[in-house]
Amino acid sequence: MIPLVICDDSNMARKQLVRSLPEGWAVSITQATNGEEALTALRQGLGQVMLLDLTMPILDGYGTLAAIRNEGLAVKVIVVSGDVQDQAVARVRELGALDFLRKPADPAELTAVLERHGLYSPSPTALPEPVARPELEVSFRDAFREVVNVSMGRAGALLAKALDVFVQLPIPNVNILEVSELHMTLVDAQREDRLSAVCQGYIGEGIAGEALLIFHDSEFDDMAKLVRWREAGESGDIEMLLDLSSIIIGACLAGIAEQFDIRFSQGHPTILGHHASIDELIVVNKTRWKKTLAVELSYSLEGHNVHFDLLLLFTEDSVKRITRKIGYLMS
Amino acid sequence: MAAQIDINELHWLLDIVQNIDVGVVVLDLDYRIEVWNSFMENHSGRILSEVSQQSLFAVFAEIDEAWFRAKAESVVLLGTRAFSIWEQRPYLVHFKSYQPITGVEAFMYQNVTLLPLRDSTGAIAHICVVIYDVTDVAINKRQLELSNDKLQELSRTDRLTGLANRGYWEERLTEEFARHQRYGGRLALMMLDIDHFKRINDTYGHAVGDQAIKALAGVIKTHVRNADIAGRYGGEEFGVVLLDTAVEGARLLAERLREAVEAMRLDVLGTPIAFTISVGITDLSVPLGNHEQMIQQADKALYESKHNGRNRVTSFVHRLD
Repeated sequence: MIPLVICDDSNMARKQLVRSLPEGWAVSITQATNGEEALTALRQGLGQVMLLDLTMPILDGYGTLAAIRNEGLAVKVIVVSGDVQDQAVARVRELGALDFLRKPADPAELTAVLERHGLYSPSPTALPEPVARPELEVSFRDAFREVVNVSMGRAGALLAKALDVFVQLPIPNVNILEVSELHMTLVDAQREDRLSAVCQGYIGEGIAGEALLIFHDSEFDDMAKLVRWREAGESGDIEMLLDLSSIIIGACLAGIAEQFDIRFSQGHPTILGHHASIDELIVVNKTRWKKTLAVELSYSLEGHNVHFDLLLLFTEDSVKRITRKIGYLMS
Repeated sequence: MAAQIDINELHWLLDIVQNIDVGVVVLDLDYRIEVWNSFMENHSGRILSEVSQQSLFAVFAEIDEAWFRAKAESVVLLGTRAFSIWEQRPYLVHFKSYQPITGVEAFMYQNVTLLPLRDSTGAIAHICVVIYDVTDVAINKRQLELSNDKLQELSRTDRLTGLANRGYWEERLTEEFARHQRYGGRLALMMLDIDHFKRINDTYGHAVGDQAIKALAGVIKTHVRNADIAGRYGGEEFGVVLLDTAVEGARLLAERLREAVEAMRLDVLGTPIAFTISVGITDLSVPLGNHEQMIQQADKALYESKHNGRNRVTSFVHRLD
């Protein structure tokens, strides 16, 4: 039995990976939910091979790779990540990872990669003996967070390409919020800063919501240095927001749509109060919706003082449909 | 799916695209027009065969080429949609509105979407431009904004004098005070009122009282700078917030105001009537906790002016106790 560590903060992602392993591959699996846990397992000799995620709390994939190198731990690492920026791939290879797979990992691809590095070879004679695998409970929140994680990785990669930067990807926050709580979250996000936001509605197969991309006005000048073409003045600012939002929102939605096998129609974006306070920015429709499924993402650009907050808000009645879609994904 | 569409279906699908009340233009990657629909033909007055293979920018000189190219390039590079909205750019191409005779606007407001079109190999070889007529929405929103602006203006203005009313004036003072707390700088406040106003009212009637208030407001308006904030604080009392000014500067202005009012005569049915003002000033050279304390200090100085015989300017003095 080969000792294998699967390290990912998402139950859903670990479950997908376990199910993508070659059927007859005799491994003893240790699961880790962050880099620290993975390192502990490796130090105990529980990992000869490791499948490693990048975006994780406590210690992320980059930090884990660096620690492995520093401590001289003998483990063959294959990174499986939603962060598909060219630079992310280059960085993990530099840190010693053998290979890189984009999420959600495709079983055939995973098998091919394992074979390529001599970690697995199919038995030439008999059909593979099925090996017992651990079963994992996956909650709705966990599963949906993983879907979002993959989508925002795609958006990050496009943004990186468009602006020629490295995008630091966050761990998405998925919550079912009362509408009043949503308002509090937003106010909290603001603190003292003035904000501008772009809002865009979307709907596909009855899954509906609004994407809200929030910019900090104090960072406009830093942002402006990154975009290729920009008119001076306020009008140029708005244009810049529109262009950035169509990349980020468009790519995020496309990622979700692809995983759910649907297509989103998108409304035209609206600018919500330029240079406004959050109260003026958002008039939440309190009477129509009591609850909303909210996804919060904060992108930062490495080496630049630029952050965007992306909120994807789904209507209450979308949750049932999303649950069904996630069911298909896992079966 | 394409293979399953029979020729009849294709025919009416084309018919729909042709007749839908939305502009559809397909461009190649050199911005040459490949196809457009009836909406485009009808509004531009040019049929497809005339413009086919011509550059979009040659056909529509009003399109800002650098801007459009930047948008379209990101569509091709990233494979995402791009949008243009009427609030930002009223239109992409200059078309007449659907109410050319009775409508408010002569041209069509447009929202525009740029879509990447993939060929059978998955490569993006064309861009589809979809143009929506949003003239009705734009007109409604514009009018709403105009009336909101008017309402806001009304809710902030004192009707008699045209200066800021007390509520708005205090709001602005609070803002300036907060700005000073954060960024420092100089800020002065002047409170003034008409001497023996009750006597003017009792002797000549309220109409003349109002006339005095209006005349004083006029003097204030001509003397303060545009950025300064003058408001009617109460009956015959006024406040002026002086930005980037210390007490010495405020004093100069106050003296000028006092002299101008002293020299002025109201015309009451042919009889010239004179009146004077008393002024109190303060600034933030000694820090204060809130804007109300600033008003209290200026009021205190104003009271000193009254107490010492009126028609004079007094600066608030910080006592070292």
